[in-house]
Formats: sequence, C-alpha cells, structure tokens
Amino acid sequence: MSSQTFGPKFNRRSLVKGAAALGAFQVASPFLIQARGEAPLRIGMVDPLTGVYAAPAGNEVMGAKLAVEHINAKGGILGRQVELLVEDSANDVGTGVQKARKLIERDQVSFMIGDVNSAIAAAIAQVTNEKKILHIVSGGHTDSITGKDCKWNVFRVCNTTRMEANSVCGVLFKKYGKKWHFITPDYAFGHTLFDACTADLKKLGGTVTGNELTPLGTTDFSAYLIKARAANPDVMILLVQGSDMINCLKQIVQFGLNKQIHVAGTQQELESLAGLPPEARIGTWMFEWYWKQPGVAGVDKFVADIRKVNNGHVPTARHWFGYTSAMSFALVANQQKTLDAVKLSGALENFELPDDVKLQPNKVYYRKGDHQLMTSAFVGEAQSTGKDDPEDLYKVDEVVAGDKTAPPVDETGCTIKWPT
Amino acid sequence: MTQLLLFNVTNGLIIGAFYVLMALGLSLILNLSNVINFAHGGFLVIGGYIAYAITPYVGFWGALVVAPPLTAILGLITERVLIRPLYGRDPLYSLLLTFGLAFMIEDGTRFIFGPQGKPVTVPPFLSQPLSNDFFFITGYRLFMVGTVMIAVALLFLLLRYTRLGVRIRAGALDLETVAALGINVQMLRSLNFAVGIFLAGLSGVLAAGQLGLEPTMGTGLLMPSFIAIIVGGIGSLPGTLFGGLLIGVASGLTAVFYPAASEAVMYVLMAVVLLVRPRGLFGEEGMLT
Repeated sequence: MSSQTFGPKFNRRSLVKGAAALGAFQVASPFLIQARGEAPLRIGMVDPLTGVYAAPAGNEVMGAKLAVEHINAKGGILGRQVELLVEDSANDVGTGVQKARKLIERDQVSFMIGDVNSAIAAAIAQVTNEKKILHIVSGGHTDSITGKDCKWNVFRVCNTTRMEANSVCGVLFKKYGKKWHFITPDYAFGHTLFDACTADLKKLGGTVTGNELTPLGTTDFSAYLIKARAANPDVMILLVQGSDMINCLKQIVQFGLNKQIHVAGTQQELESLAGLPPEARIGTWMFEWYWKQPGVAGVDKFVADIRKVNNGHVPTARHWFGYTSAMSFALVANQQKTLDAVKLSGALENFELPDDVKLQPNKVYYRKGDHQLMTSAFVGEAQSTGKDDPEDLYKVDEVVAGDKTAPPVDETGCTIKWPT
Repeated sequence: MTQLLLFNVTNGLIIGAFYVLMALGLSLILNLSNVINFAHGGFLVIGGYIAYAITPYVGFWGALVVAPPLTAILGLITERVLIRPLYGRDPLYSLLLTFGLAFMIEDGTRFIFGPQGKPVTVPPFLSQPLSNDFFFITGYRLFMVGTVMIAVALLFLLLRYTRLGVRIRAGALDLETVAALGINVQMLRSLNFAVGIFLAGLSGVLAAGQLGLEPTMGTGLLMPSFIAIIVGGIGSLPGTLFGGLLIGVASGLTAVFYPAASEAVMYVLMAVVLLVRPRGLFGEEGMLT
C-alpha cells in the first residue's frame, strides 16, 4: 500500500479533520438520539409468507397490521407512532433466524412476533432471548415454547397442543366411543399433539388402535386410510393441518369413510374448512377463535375492520393471533411507560387482556410461570354451508376457558430464569 | 393381512397412474430438448387453477376439456420466449430457468388467487366408493385411471404412427441428423413441449378434483415424477410408465408396515436402481450424454 496512491486525496490533515469530526459526532450523538426519539417505534414480525403455511401466516400479518393501525390511531406507544416490519421465514428455520437477527440488529425493532411454524418460533425465541427483545409467539403450538424451553422474554398467544387436546378429547370420548385411530403429521407439532391426546384417552379409559405418521405435505392419504379402517376404530382423529388436513378430509369423504367411522380431531381452522368442498366440511373439532360470537363485546367491530382489508372475508383465528400479539405490546408498554424488556415481561405476567382485544367471553391473561395466554377453546362442529353467511362454516357448542384446558404450571416443565 | 396388502397394491397402482401422467410429460420434454423442467409442477398448478376458474361457467367436464389445452398454450409461449434462447447452452441454464419459473408460478397463483386453498367439486356420482369393501376405489379414482390410460394410449399412438411422433422420437435419438434432413427442429421442440405441458395441465385438473387446490400443490407431486423417470430409465417412455406404477405400489406397501417411510421408500428405490442399474430399469445406455 503506497502512500502515493492516497497522497493526492487523503493526507494527514484530512485524517486529523476526519478524526475530529468523528469525535464531534460522538459528543453530538445524544442530540441525534433525542431527535430520533420522534422516529417510529418498530415491531418486527417473522412468518412463513411463502410455502405451505402461507395462508395462516398472511392472515396473522393482516391482523398485526390492523392492530398497528389501531395503536397509532390511539397515539402509538409512549407517544411514538408504530411501524410493523414483516419478514418472510419461507417456512425454513435458518431463514427465520436470519430474518429475526436482521430485524433486531439492523432495523432495531423493539418487539418481535412470530412464527406459525413451531420449530422456527422456537429458534427465533433463542435469538430474541439472547438480544433481550420481548417476543410473542403468535401461532406455533408445540408445548416446549411455554414448557421446558420457556424463556423470560417469550410469551405465546395461541394454544399449546396439550390445551387443544384437553379441550376436546373428553367430548369426543363421550360422543363417539373409546377406540381411536390417529393420522398424525410426522414432526414436532404432531408428535406432541398425539402424546397429549393419548394421555387424555388413557385417563378416560380408551384405547389407541393405531397411529399413522404421515410426512408433512402428504398428498395422497389413501394408504393410511386403508390401514386405519382395517383397524376398525370408533373415531378417526386427524391431527394433520393446512393442506394435509384438506387432502385427508377430502379423501375420507370421497371414500365414504365418514359414514362408517366418526371423523374428528383437535385443532381445526377456518382456512382449511374454506378450502374444502361443502360435503367434506365435517367433524368435531376445536377452533382457537371464531368470528361469530353474538353479544360478545368488540367482536363485530373487529370482524367489520378485517372485512375492510380482507376482500370482504371474515377474520380467522390467525387474524386474531396477529392482532392480539401486537396489541399486547402496546397495552403493556403504555401501562408501564417503558420499553425495558425485563420490566415489560414482568408486567405481562398475569396481564389480563381488555374486552376489545380478547374478543371472547372468558377471562384471558398471560399466565405467570409459563407465559402462556389463557385463551379459550371453541369446541364445536364443522358445517357444510353457513346459514346467514357463506363463511359461517363452524358451529360453536362450548367456549372452554384457557385455565380449564391448560395443565398447571408445574406440569408444563417450565422454569423461567430471569436475567440477573 | 393378505387383504390389506392386496388393497394397497391396487391403491398403489392408482396413485402410480397419476405419477405416470406427470412423469410422461416431463420425460417427453427431457428426451427431446434436454430440459429438466422444474416448472412442470407449476404448470400442473396452472391447469388446476384454470379448471377452478372456469368450472362455474363450463362445469367440471368443460374444465377437463378446456384447461389442459389452455395450459399447453401457456407452455408454448414459455418455450418460445424463455426456453428457446437457452437450447444452445448447457442444460444447467434451462434447469435454473425452470427452477426460478416454478417459484414465479407459485407466487403468481398466490398473488392472483390468494394463499388459501380453493375447493373444486367433482360431479357427485363420481365421488362415491364402488362398494363398502373396496371403499378406496371411488368413481373419481377409476375415472382418473381411465383418463390416464386413454392419454397414455393416445400419446403412444401419436409417437408411433404420426409424422410428428416419429420426428419427436427420432429427434430424441439424434437431433442433428433430424435437423440435417430439413425438419424444422424449433417447431418440433415447441410442439413437443406443448404436448408435455398439456399432460401437466391434465394432471392439474385431475389432481384438483381429489386434492386441495393450492399454489404449492405442484411441489409435492413433482418429485415422485422425477423419481419415476429415473427408476424407469431416462429416455424410455415405457420405462417412465413402469417407474410411475412401481413407486406408487412401493409407497402403498410401505404404508402398511411403516407408514412414516412411505415417502422415503421412493428415494430408497431410486438409490438402489441407480446403484445396480444406473441407466434405470428400461433405460438405454448412453442416453443424454
């Protein structure tokens, strides 16, 4: 490196001037930071906008966007306007982690939401924990997130798989019989859901006739269905989700199996029912939230608001997940008048959601001890066509409160370690 | 147990028939143009969505007739505009192009129709099982197998007895000589590509009747088709036919004993074939070199 190369443009004097300018900048920086105080506060969101979970992820983002609109209309968070930065995890753990890091390190987000995929949600939780960012898992259900891998900064809006199983297994046992055959997706979510269901079934005195572990993204379920029928169960329990649920239910109905064996499951979503032809909208399930709740405060307004931005379609549980996640940050930060993650996490423990956010009849709060939202299960039946509305595809029989479906904290395996 | 095995063999043949339809289209394009068409699943999705969009106006049968040729026209345009400029280059270029195209088609359908699955209803008399015992043989699945058989028969007749077919087969063996004989090779490739995409479109309509119609639907169906070609032998259409049926049955039988491996077994089969007989079961040595 010869000095001649730089000589004409860059001499010692300019170096000194540069250093002085840099020093001045350091001294002046508090003013700059103060000026930046007026800049919008950022919420980061990582969700699989492409891939098999694109539909639920898109709806979660839409819900979060609506929340940000509502927050800003009411004056923002601590007087600052709020901005939502959305990144696509592409349903891939590595990509999700990279996007979460980018949001925290480069975009300086204050809060984090995500992901639909349990594995990505758990991986992002590691990052937010390391960076001390308050994080709400919107739609990943596997137990460990608020169980053995729980963290001081991580909260969850959607149910755990155990809550889902507990909400509906008793009803299925009473209604349909004690021999159950499972169709289970072969990954973390499916396995924990299967464990939860079989634990309940055992307590009730029932038996498992078999469990068909199907790869995620299975298109043809006929081989599993042949085996399931040969086992002669009372109920066929579908634990698959998304496009797998659609393919499986469609084939069950085409084979006429629903006329021989009861078909049911735990988690069902409006996205799946809407993707099915009317004759395949069958079964007893639990919804995590439903848009038709006559007389419950705030629901009609929320439905109307989402319809405006969703081509006239009603909100699904996913919209509500996104909405509730973003609203929780605003509610707790404005109450505590701070952005400090540790203080806010502490304040969120046993924090009860107000009517216009919880949008359901029972008490809804983030439980102290495992940070799981005690949200209700909407147990009911799928219906082929809606009476008053073409999207009313589910009949709710019972709304079970979250603290009735969730196991006690000491059974979750969660021990929260706070930073010293 | 025997009954269960028998059921699964039959069922595997039905599933295999569907893979055959996809794989034959892929194989046609690969043999003549040396293009590994990763966008084939995308064209399947396009076929399905066209059927979904026009069913309210022309019914399921109308859609079955109209959607595949419409998909083929899109294929023709794609070939003319995007793929033709790459023929002179390494096959890697067209592979990368179609790989990217597959993403574009997936995102495009998501943009137009939304990420949520769409319901396609088939005529009620088709969605009945034949009997209580053979519940897995529904009218629709029989109809699907029938359609595949007719399509395959027509394809083989086309290749065997028509001038176009003879040229396609000759071109697959030695394109330079075919060109030297004064045959318009560009036109030949375009028509061949269109026939391949027609089969993808037809698969799309058939799949939409049985599966959930989603932008990502093609991805899951594409891999078995590639495996069918490799197992059957690159360059051999009867091989592709056999390969498709074989992996269908293998997958069905595995589901009886160890369901979690019913997908993996296809890959195991492929690995074994590649180790023992690298050219594939029906493949001729030296194809595609």
